[in-house]
Amino acid sequence: MQIPDKPDPLVNNWARPFWDGTREKKLLIQLCSDCKKHIFYPRMVCPYCFSDNIEWAEASGKATIYSFTVVESNAPSPFVPDMPFVIAVVILEEGVRMLTNIVECDPHALECEQAVEVTFVKKNDEFTLPQFKPVSAT
Amino acid sequence: MRRGKAKGAIIGIGEVPTGRFQETEAIEFAMKSAKLAIEDAGINKEEIDCIMPTAAMFSGVFTNEMATGRMVEELGLTGVKTNCNIWSGGSSSSNSLKLACAMLAQGDAKNVLMVQAEKLATGMPSGQAGIDLFAFAGQSPEWEIPFGQNFSSLTALATTRYQYETGTTDEQMAAVCVSNRKWAEMNPHAFFRKPLTIEEVMASKMLSTPLRAKMSNMLFDGGSALIVTSAERAPDVVDKPVYVLGEGGSSTHFVFSQEPDMTRFGFAKAGRLAYEQAGLTAANIDVAEIYDSYPIYQVIAFEELGFCERGGAGEIFLRGDTWPGGKIPCTTDGGMLSKGHIGAGGSYSLLVESVRQLRGTTGERQVPGARFAIETGTGGTYVDSHATILGSEIP
Ligand SMILES: [Zn+2]
Repeated sequence: MQIPDKPDPLVNNWARPFWDGTREKKLLIQLCSDCKKHIFYPRMVCPYCFSDNIEWAEASGKATIYSFTVVESNAPSPFVPDMPFVIAVVILEEGVRMLTNIVECDPHALECEQAVEVTFVKKNDEFTLPQFKPVSAT
Repeated sequence: MRRGKAKGAIIGIGEVPTGRFQETEAIEFAMKSAKLAIEDAGINKEEIDCIMPTAAMFSGVFTNEMATGRMVEELGLTGVKTNCNIWSGGSSSSNSLKLACAMLAQGDAKNVLMVQAEKLATGMPSGQAGIDLFAFAGQSPEWEIPFGQNFSSLTALATTRYQYETGTTDEQMAAVCVSNRKWAEMNPHAFFRKPLTIEEVMASKMLSTPLRAKMSNMLFDGGSALIVTSAERAPDVVDKPVYVLGEGGSSTHFVFSQEPDMTRFGFAKAGRLAYEQAGLTAANIDVAEIYDSYPIYQVIAFEELGFCERGGAGEIFLRGDTWPGGKIPCTTDGGMLSKGHIGAGGSYSLLVESVRQLRGTTGERQVPGARFAIETGTGGTYVDSHATILGSEIP
């Protein structure tokens, strides 16, 4: 089977600072200046209070796993060579949810509510994906 | 019997078998289903004044043809005032029925033809093309696709979290497949009709933990159609109208990871709205035609619609309450897991099956004396939850 390239994120204009941020190893999420709630993914207006006054804030990069799965077969073509790999929904310390991959881990040892932290994985010159890895026991 | 509380009535149904039909064009599934439905209603085809086709995922060309009047011309209909695709993925039938009832109430239509056809098995270049189509269909090209998200993985995410919160076991999830198969064994329109065991489900290939191949639907060809008229007119047209008593819906997300609770979705709210309109509760429902596509969504909707307490569905599917002869028969056409996935046809099928059950015409899989049914649909990546309550009478 011919393996197509993995798709780059199709960037919405107002989300550009997020992807500029990951390239600089910064996890930038939005913060509403009016209701003070964090927002992810980036929006044009605050989905909570409808305000246009939205700024960017750097997230701590700390998160917990809400749910996860180990993809073992039937992945989309570009991801077939990566199997097995982990897809997860994490909840950032700031309260927002994000789909990501969990890397640098034993896929079958993961658990819901496990603590993870962001790691920036360069895809190409334009895009760096925010992925997460387990917080190592100290 | 008090009349007028119903929102509309289904007076005709048509359906072709689900399967792989290389030599058959999608338009033939649509035409056959529509003709069967019109003949079933016993109306003159010129009485159809509104057509609501829905989109077909296998082909944009076919979808456009349906949107721009191919059915009007092929069926030779001269009285059509409105032809308009209604598309919201797997909830298309729920939304079409809701809009049909609104048009009937407003006097903008007298007889609405809802029709659906799909060719997801033989209209696709390969099996991997089907995987890729669904990998990217309805999924965010910015926030999910770059991470490898696909329908198996997102379903696995919901399943993992649900099992974590409720303690439901893999075997209990597999029992949903077994329950649906027991019904499909008796449905000549279903693709998978051989008996299935928990052990077989558990031995099938792991797709995305904890989701296995036999917990996953497969893509097929097929189609179906319904004729909807007003509740006032229906008894003058057919002997056994099936009344639309209540409808509820809830849109909860677009990007799957943004769903606030992927162990519940919007089914509780949808159910509450539908039960309120119908003046009924779960205790009144004789048959639950619940949208599956994967076990997790059938389990969640079953619980959220009030058929058991949270976390109790797995055991109920396992011990047979949802099987033929059980206390609360569920998804009696076999669902997308056993009848087969035909795109928007998943919930179309369940609507057709609800009508058959309430008419008492399902043969050996008839639920004895069924008077009230609940039917569900959900679209995209389970972005919306819909519940429809139907009855052979108006309570
Ligand atoms: Zn705000």
